Amino acid sequence: MLRKKMLRDLKENKGTYLACIVVMILGIMVFTAFSLVVDNLKISQKSFYTEQNFADGFAQVEALPFSAIGNLQNIKGIKQIEGRIVKDVQVYAPQSQENIYLRLVSMDPSKENRLNDFLLEKGTPLSNKTMNIWVDNKFFEAQNLKLNDKLEIIVNGKIRELKVVGFGKSPEFIYALRTTADLYPSPETFGIAFVPIEIMEKIFVTGVYNDLVFSLEPGVDFEDIEDTLEYKLKPYGLRSLIPRKDQVSHSLLEMEITSLETMARVMPVMFLGIAAMILYITLKRLIEQQRGQIGILKAFGYTRGEILSHYLSYPLVIALSGSFIGGILGIILAGPFTSMYRLFFNMPEAPDNFSILYLILGIVLSLTFALGAGYQGCKNILKLEPAQALRPPSPPSGRRILLERIPFFWNMLTVQGMMAVRNISRNKGRSFFIFVGIMFCFAITAFTWSMNDLIQKMLFDQYEKVEVYDLKISLSQSVDAKAVSRELSSFPGVNRAEPMAEIPVTLKNKWLEKDVVILGLPPNSHLYNILDAEGNSVELPDKGILLSERLASLLNASLGTKLNVDTPLIEDWDSTKQVEVRGIIPQYVGINAYMNINALQEFLKAGPLATSFMLTTEKERVIPLKEKYRESALVASIEAKEESFKKLQELMASYGSFIYIYALIGVIIGFAIIYSSSVITVSERSRELASMMVLGMTPAEVLSVVTFEQWFLGLGAMIAGIPMSKLMLTGIAQAIESDIFSMPVVISPTSYLLALIITAISIWLAQQAAAGKIKKLSLVEVLKERE
Amino acid sequence: METIMVAKNLTKTYQMGEVKVEALKEASFELYKGELVVVLGPSGSGKSTLLNIIGGMDQATSGELYYLNKPLHTANSKELTLYRRHDVGFVFQFYNLMPNLTAYENINLAAQIAKDPLPIKELLEKVGLANRADHFPSQLSGGEQQRIALARALAKNPQIMLCDEPTGALDFTTSIQVLKLLKDFSTSYGKTVVVITHNTAIAQIADRIFYLKDGRLVKIEHNPNPLPPEKVTW
Repeated sequence: MLRKKMLRDLKENKGTYLACIVVMILGIMVFTAFSLVVDNLKISQKSFYTEQNFADGFAQVEALPFSAIGNLQNIKGIKQIEGRIVKDVQVYAPQSQENIYLRLVSMDPSKENRLNDFLLEKGTPLSNKTMNIWVDNKFFEAQNLKLNDKLEIIVNGKIRELKVVGFGKSPEFIYALRTTADLYPSPETFGIAFVPIEIMEKIFVTGVYNDLVFSLEPGVDFEDIEDTLEYKLKPYGLRSLIPRKDQVSHSLLEMEITSLETMARVMPVMFLGIAAMILYITLKRLIEQQRGQIGILKAFGYTRGEILSHYLSYPLVIALSGSFIGGILGIILAGPFTSMYRLFFNMPEAPDNFSILYLILGIVLSLTFALGAGYQGCKNILKLEPAQALRPPSPPSGRRILLERIPFFWNMLTVQGMMAVRNISRNKGRSFFIFVGIMFCFAITAFTWSMNDLIQKMLFDQYEKVEVYDLKISLSQSVDAKAVSRELSSFPGVNRAEPMAEIPVTLKNKWLEKDVVILGLPPNSHLYNILDAEGNSVELPDKGILLSERLASLLNASLGTKLNVDTPLIEDWDSTKQVEVRGIIPQYVGINAYMNINALQEFLKAGPLATSFMLTTEKERVIPLKEKYRESALVASIEAKEESFKKLQELMASYGSFIYIYALIGVIIGFAIIYSSSVITVSERSRELASMMVLGMTPAEVLSVVTFEQWFLGLGAMIAGIPMSKLMLTGIAQAIESDIFSMPVVISPTSYLLALIITAISIWLAQQAAAGKIKKLSLVEVLKERE
Repeated sequence: METIMVAKNLTKTYQMGEVKVEALKEASFELYKGELVVVLGPSGSGKSTLLNIIGGMDQATSGELYYLNKPLHTANSKELTLYRRHDVGFVFQFYNLMPNLTAYENINLAAQIAKDPLPIKELLEKVGLANRADHFPSQLSGGEQQRIALARALAKNPQIMLCDEPTGALDFTTSIQVLKLLKDFSTSYGKTVVVITHNTAIAQIADRIFYLKDGRLVKIEHNPNPLPPEKVTW
């Protein structure tokens, strides 16, 4: 019998319960989907790493003789170490608009159990005898290659032909970036090729390794062997030595997994919290309304337990249906979500993890929230004795509130306004709920829009305001800046050429140190602007160094700090040499230090060196220029900014859709809260509202009492949402801050405005839904009842 | 006397679940300016239905109703709202004051939507509660609350004042105070007052008495010598 009563009660308030279920579904869906995606990615990652023997450490050197490897193998703690030759080359593709680069990585086909082994998906084994290679599958697809196709590369100005005999994946290049300044993999212009070591030796006429990978014995940390290895590699021109956690592909994958994990934890709690609040206020109201019925049940001899379980069956039904639907949707969505991530992260597909565990966890989670909220809502009535329950509750008492002490404000209000404002303190729990809900709705939208804004702005600023050149030519070795500048400037169509020196160094402040690249730029550069936080250009000092904010904080450096500089580039370098910090500037993409190129050259005592050139050219001269220099042994790459920019815009367009989802979430939250609290308010105050209609007020005037209260609370909540959104952005900024990317915590006025509009729209929509209930109020019925 | 309302064959049927209930059957009558009408009848005789229809809170199923020659039986909900807003004052058995507005503010709630409201201070004095203007309903006794409700209904300066058992929840002395106010409103302001009650003693103050039974208006009685309220006892 009671079950029938419950189902009919649910039906009566279906709007509110539906809102609650929708919010719950969203929460559990996000929880299940993201948890599964994280699991899928982690499982793929782990099995891929294990099966392909992914290295624990990576080093780059100038030149390490083949014979020296044996010596390194003996270092205690190192399990396996392999030398490699790694070279970036250009693919000869005269028909292509863009330059296509290939990273050649040597491997020994005769060796078993190689580190970072290639997972061959299709093709034949490599042979040391012929010019054959394997390429990564993304590149294979993007270039429309077929097995046994020929690929022509340019080495030292000569074209060499390589035969593609297989394609597959490498654990080292799950997220394949050509340089750390790239933000996303681009298989159209960059690929990985694995080449037999003997072929590699032949192509580059070299007998030395320039790259090392190694694995560690179980229980050994990278730090344990770092010093020894650094000491042993120093004579061979050590350029970098990093643990797995700093390896680009690995760290980006980890970052993505971590942020997904955070989402899987935070978002459901938020949604379920909101659902719980809706349930709490709805049940509380229901029980107040059914006070008489409860009295009768008690008088009949129903026990407290029976009555409690009756009322808890409402949240039970809601939580079960919400979490079940949410869980199923989450499981369904996990597949496509994982595939989406696989587009970016090139890993073999592990069988998708279909786990009933998350479904159960989701149900448990939502039951906890719902029953907890339900119990809180019910517990008071149970204490009542039957006779007491049968009597009507004591009438609400009006009270003056603090705001009335502000005559200026108070006198502005109509009588409806006064009622509305006093109502806020009448039901503090519900007002708090409305406040928190609107605050979240506002903060979520403000911060997501802002984040979108910022990311766009940061990236676009980099291209439009910082790097204002058209072309950048990177060289494979340092050259005389003046001579090459002169040559490039004289090329037809080139308006301006400026040299740039990119010098890898280790900066040290006491025990803190960081490997970075110093950018040496001409004073008053026209092609590369250094900007301060306000976007004004900053002059390079004649002496000393500018640091990016993140670098300064990593090194704990401030203006005037003297940093020790170590560089592998120069032999017999005196590592006690110091440079003074003369400025700290924001930098959102990458992490660099900046010097006047002349000061840098003098500091290095290396003559007028440059490692790349920035050019502005006439558009139609870009292709002839590329053609002329692409085959030069000196030229490592020619990058046209417009192309990179275009690709970035494409990527951002797809990223933008995420923002709409967040905005939608904000709207749903705002709507659910306002709708359910309006409906409850209308039901609770139906008598007052009906009396006002009898007085001759229009339904709109009557509604205004309810809406004024919500707008009033909403205004306060939106103001509170401003610091809240800042807090959220700070959290996200800290979570994603890395050497590749950092984010300023600034929320633009436009974002606030947008958040205001979105929040207001969802409040308004929900109020319209509640307005229907007021129109339907039957004056005669309501007023006939006894209070 | 000037006629302000004419009703012809008003009938109201309710659908109560599966049964049809005829709450009012073919009631025809007129209301005059400045008179006090008492409607008598046992519970369920259709008193409240009649009052709700006169007050524009409900509409008859059939029949015609004119207020100052304007038809109310064909009015839409907007027109009915305007009618209630400007021409009708309501007083209920259970006061229906806004719990979170003070006595003064409750009256003001009505006054601010009226075209030609009566001064609130004067009304408070009239109902003898000028010193309680700042009290909330929960701080007032039943009789005081009803007097505020009365003042609220008067504040709009309506043509017709409709009272549904206005003394039903009050003791004798307070009831007499309320009745005095109603009588005064009809005589000194020249407004029409309709009072529903099942207390036959109250009928003695009326100019006319309507008798309702089983939804029918069975008799309309003229009372040439109404008693002043203070002389009524029960």
